[in-house]
Amino acid sequence: MSRKTLEIYSVELDGTKDTKQTDQEDDKKYNDLDLKKSHQKEELKRELDLDDHKLTSEELEQKYGTNIITGLSSARAAEHLARDGPNTLSPPKQTPEIIKFLKQMVGGFSILLWIGAVLCWIAYGIQYVNDKSASLDSVYLGVVLALVVILTGIFAYYQEAKSTNIMASFSKMIPQEALVIRDSEKKVIPAEQLVVGDIVEIKGGDQIPADIRLLSSQGCKVDNSSLTGESEPQPRSAEFTHENPLETKNIGFYSTTCLEGTATGVVINTGDRTVIGRIASLASGVGSEKTPIATEIEHFVHIVAGVAVSVGLLFFIIAVSLKYQVLDSIIFLIGIIVANVPEGLLATVTVTLSLTAKRMAKKNCLVKNLEAVETLGSTSIICSDKTGTLTQNRMAVAHLWFDNQIFMADTSENQLNQAFDQSSGTWASLSKIIALCNRAEFRPGQENIPIMKKVVVGDASETALLKFSEVILGDVMEIRKRNRKVAEIPFNSTNKFQLSIHETEDPEDKHFLVVMKGAPERILERCSTIMINGQEQPLGKSNATAFHTAYMELGGLGERVLGFCHLYLPEDEFPESYPFDVDAMNFPTSNLCFVGLLSMIDPPRSTVPDAVAKCRSAGIKVIMVTGDHPITAKAVAKSVGVISASSETVEDIARRCSIAVEQVNKRDARAAVVTGMELKDMAPEQLDEILANYSEIVFARTSPQQKLIIVEGCQRQDAVVAVTGDGVNDSPALKKADIGIAMGIAGSDAAKNAADMVLLDDNFASIVTGVEEGRLIFDNLKKTIAYTLTKNIAELCPFLIYIIVGLPLPIGTITLLFIDLGTDIIPSIALAYEKAESDIMNRKPRHKKKDRLVNHQLAIYSYLHIGLMQALGAFLVYFTVYAQQGFWPTSLINLRVRWEKDELNDVEDSYGQEWTRYQRKYLEWTGYTAFFVGIMVQQIADLIIRKTRRNSIFQQGLFRNKVIWVGIASQIIIALILSYGLGSVTALSFTMLR
Amino acid sequence: MTKGEKKSFNESLAEWKLFLYNPTTREFLGRTAKSWGLILLFYLVFYGFLAALFSFTMWAMLQTLNDEVPKYRDQIPSPGLMVFPKPVTALEYTFSVSDPSSYEGYIKDLKKFLKSYSLEEQKNLTNCTDGVLFEQKGPVYVACRFPDFLLQACSGRNDPDFGYSQGQPCILVKMNRIIGLKPEGSPRIDCISKDENTAIVSTYPNHGIIDLKYFPYYGKKLHVGYLQPLVAVQVSFESNSTKKEVTVECKIEGSRNLRNEDDRDKFLGRVAFKITART
Repeated sequence: MSRKTLEIYSVELDGTKDTKQTDQEDDKKYNDLDLKKSHQKEELKRELDLDDHKLTSEELEQKYGTNIITGLSSARAAEHLARDGPNTLSPPKQTPEIIKFLKQMVGGFSILLWIGAVLCWIAYGIQYVNDKSASLDSVYLGVVLALVVILTGIFAYYQEAKSTNIMASFSKMIPQEALVIRDSEKKVIPAEQLVVGDIVEIKGGDQIPADIRLLSSQGCKVDNSSLTGESEPQPRSAEFTHENPLETKNIGFYSTTCLEGTATGVVINTGDRTVIGRIASLASGVGSEKTPIATEIEHFVHIVAGVAVSVGLLFFIIAVSLKYQVLDSIIFLIGIIVANVPEGLLATVTVTLSLTAKRMAKKNCLVKNLEAVETLGSTSIICSDKTGTLTQNRMAVAHLWFDNQIFMADTSENQLNQAFDQSSGTWASLSKIIALCNRAEFRPGQENIPIMKKVVVGDASETALLKFSEVILGDVMEIRKRNRKVAEIPFNSTNKFQLSIHETEDPEDKHFLVVMKGAPERILERCSTIMINGQEQPLGKSNATAFHTAYMELGGLGERVLGFCHLYLPEDEFPESYPFDVDAMNFPTSNLCFVGLLSMIDPPRSTVPDAVAKCRSAGIKVIMVTGDHPITAKAVAKSVGVISASSETVEDIARRCSIAVEQVNKRDARAAVVTGMELKDMAPEQLDEILANYSEIVFARTSPQQKLIIVEGCQRQDAVVAVTGDGVNDSPALKKADIGIAMGIAGSDAAKNAADMVLLDDNFASIVTGVEEGRLIFDNLKKTIAYTLTKNIAELCPFLIYIIVGLPLPIGTITLLFIDLGTDIIPSIALAYEKAESDIMNRKPRHKKKDRLVNHQLAIYSYLHIGLMQALGAFLVYFTVYAQQGFWPTSLINLRVRWEKDELNDVEDSYGQEWTRYQRKYLEWTGYTAFFVGIMVQQIADLIIRKTRRNSIFQQGLFRNKVIWVGIASQIIIALILSYGLGSVTALSFTMLR
Repeated sequence: MTKGEKKSFNESLAEWKLFLYNPTTREFLGRTAKSWGLILLFYLVFYGFLAALFSFTMWAMLQTLNDEVPKYRDQIPSPGLMVFPKPVTALEYTFSVSDPSSYEGYIKDLKKFLKSYSLEEQKNLTNCTDGVLFEQKGPVYVACRFPDFLLQACSGRNDPDFGYSQGQPCILVKMNRIIGLKPEGSPRIDCISKDENTAIVSTYPNHGIIDLKYFPYYGKKLHVGYLQPLVAVQVSFESNSTKKEVTVECKIEGSRNLRNEDDRDKFLGRVAFKITART
């Protein structure tokens, strides 16, 4: 039973690579956004409106106006091409670059700053009308604000474009070609020029260039995994076998791969009208959820913008009622808004995210959507595929049974540690059968590649056996050469065995050796003796029972079991020149000697059990969703820890207590295996109940469509769901999930397109590293935001004090921008390099709605505690500068009006000296610079405080994050340049400090 | 639909009420009285401490200062010029000869300002040697006399209207006080009319000389009774000119260390003002 369902993978990974890449290129253009509303995901399951598979060749010729022998004429083809368009999937209607760019320009805080800038210009305009000599200060401010918005916009746009480019570079463009018959000639043309009615020839390794109806085939097998998710090779021939076009054997689908054999067919659909084109366009019909970090940032922007605008308006009103001029009040308003808005923060967040994305790409997580970086960190449920993600996506020998004993084989990635007993004579025979009764071969020219990485021509189990024997016996090809093959019956589903006849390696020994492998029960039927410890013994009852026990045990582990037997043909009956005829079977195929059993499994990746355990301690539920048989699924789930050793399913409990399944208290079971059939009949409430009540769940025998149902069920639990997928049919689920993870190797391009993230090595463990990075980035973003928010108070207070107490302005708006966008940027990015505090993988995932990025603790701590201290510190510096130059703090109160009067050029200080307006202004700028440096220095301290949230700074290590020190150095250097280098630029209002 | 909304509004109202005061947990605005007390206590202590810290540092900073001379004087190396009386708007004097109320304010200001320059007020001041810097070592610093008769026609002695009633207004030009400033050479204030033909500008003392004996200045606290030297500018419009409007520019000349041409500071060693006299 388990044998059928075990998935066979395409062994020619390298061979199909080229076509895969083309595929990626094509599918990058998926997502037909012109999709009508009526397209629902249910339509995925809708029967295709296609009847070409029922037609005969003649009818087809008629329908498409072609000729099977001569093909279309070039003129006709050109006509069709003009009518139907090229054979490509129409690219997604991409948001024009300019719109993307403009979005960056008005998103977030930008709109506030634009308003500020425009107000500045309006204010200047009014001033200018009243007085031609109005100072240009507000124009400068407006220009600077506009520049800030434009620059941060360009920057964010650039960052986003760069991350898109990663993706683009990932799928390189290699034009696909097709062999087509036109004008009675075979021609190689680019696949996109194919038209309906073309006669194409395909061979093993090709990608099928369009939907084709097969006309003839020789041993053609296709891999439909990109369409159905099932990677078992399916035979293709010209016969009509099924009403359903998806099931019938005589239709090959666009973008699927021909694994072996050759075929000729007529093109029946091209481009978007192909089956895959239709499905791909559906994927975009499933709404994509907003990423949690986007929600968080939005939340944060709303809070800060709300505070900025309301404080601004409040003080605008206060200013007006304090009899300030309206124009001045508007300038105050702008100052307050600028002080409140952390201009650099959004850019910082983008940089931080892209830094992490880069780091993740190194760990094989390619993030397509920057915001997905953090989403991964808040993931609470991972719905993972089995094959290739949890497992190695190849067959490997797991157990052997000979001499009435079960031996374990090493299934790790390199299989070097084969520790079972190899001294028995039985093993010598068994190993010979394994090596000889095998049609798989290594591709030539791979001498220096480790055995496990070599490319093999042959199916999955034969590959497994070949590699297994190569590891243990050495050069298998050499062994086969020494034991020349004289005849062979390949495996077929009626015989269920494979047989070959060899000469023995001993030149003196003229015996022929018959070796056979196949379904254990069939093999046993053909045996009369069994080999125990190298001796042939009659196959008694006890031996047969032992065989059955072993067979059942291995089968129960979800492994594919094969039986092996051999027979030395008597020399007299079968002399050297005996003509073996495989059709006539002129040699014995019964009364053989049974040698042993061997079981294979797609072994779990060695890093996966750890990763699953890590997920569990991190409070992430791992749900396995597979198309496999429940037994296999459960066995794999147990071996990787998705179902932990101590957990039982309802069925397990029933078996243990020998009671009926219905009698078991469902609360006792922690694990559940749910099949697709059960899922089909389930109401959403029942699914919710299962998802809520069981901590360890395996969904077996599910179709890719059911994945979507499972994802939706998880999302109803308020979980952040990560879903892995590879088939085209997975794309709706990938889109629907909070974070869709596509497989980089096995994944189809539609899946990659729909996903937020691509796992380059298809390894589940990479997801866990991704989760770790995601959590780290959330923590670090919190630090960054806390750091950035702190100075807002120190920036805001000057304006409030200025309005209320009437001090000369402590810090100018432009100077503020230099803090926000100059000195503070690099340090806040540096916080992204902060290492994790304690083990972040021991925490529960953050709750989407409760654990906000910016909560009131963070705001209060930043604003009211540290921020206030910073403001006081900066004011101290400000008062010091004024006092040292002659204006004592007491003399500053209510000095503002006289201070700012342009025609008043003899304002007296506390020592009786008199100051011209310009001298005062210069002093004011010195004050700005001092205030600026005051904040800057305190921000350095703040940076060191923010390095940690839980640990002490010494636990975390002051010097572990070198980038922080780079940040501090940059802060100091920028401040030095601003105050000493650019002191002479009027618009910047910086002066030298002592 | 509206029904549902209304209900939710009522619900949110109830929620607010509960938030305001929750009788079961005795929470007021989400906190119990004890919690509020503790948090207020925390902030009281915290802010009290901050205030104390700030006051202490301010106090410590002020201790480093000298209340006789400011710590740094680098930002005012050179004095600015300023006129007196100060016109209402910008530096534009507008008055009407025939309407005393239009210049009444100027006269009042001038009288008030010159009161400290009257002889009676300067009885206790020293008569210093003309033409040389009057450097003092302390501890007592004395101020030099600046008798108002030096301003001649603009002293207000003979003409209590300071020339305004005749259409020949007097305006005082003074140099900003700067502690320790020692002008070199023989500084004087040169005033010229920008429109040559409309008015004659005369300065008192003659040539607008500023005597070095008034320098250096030792600060408000030490240099009690210090009188800063003044130069009066009198503008006499030509009787035949119809346009009685003139822009006068005054500059400090004759001293190397008193700058009068700074691009940014239009008042550093110079001042320009406009006089419009209507009939």
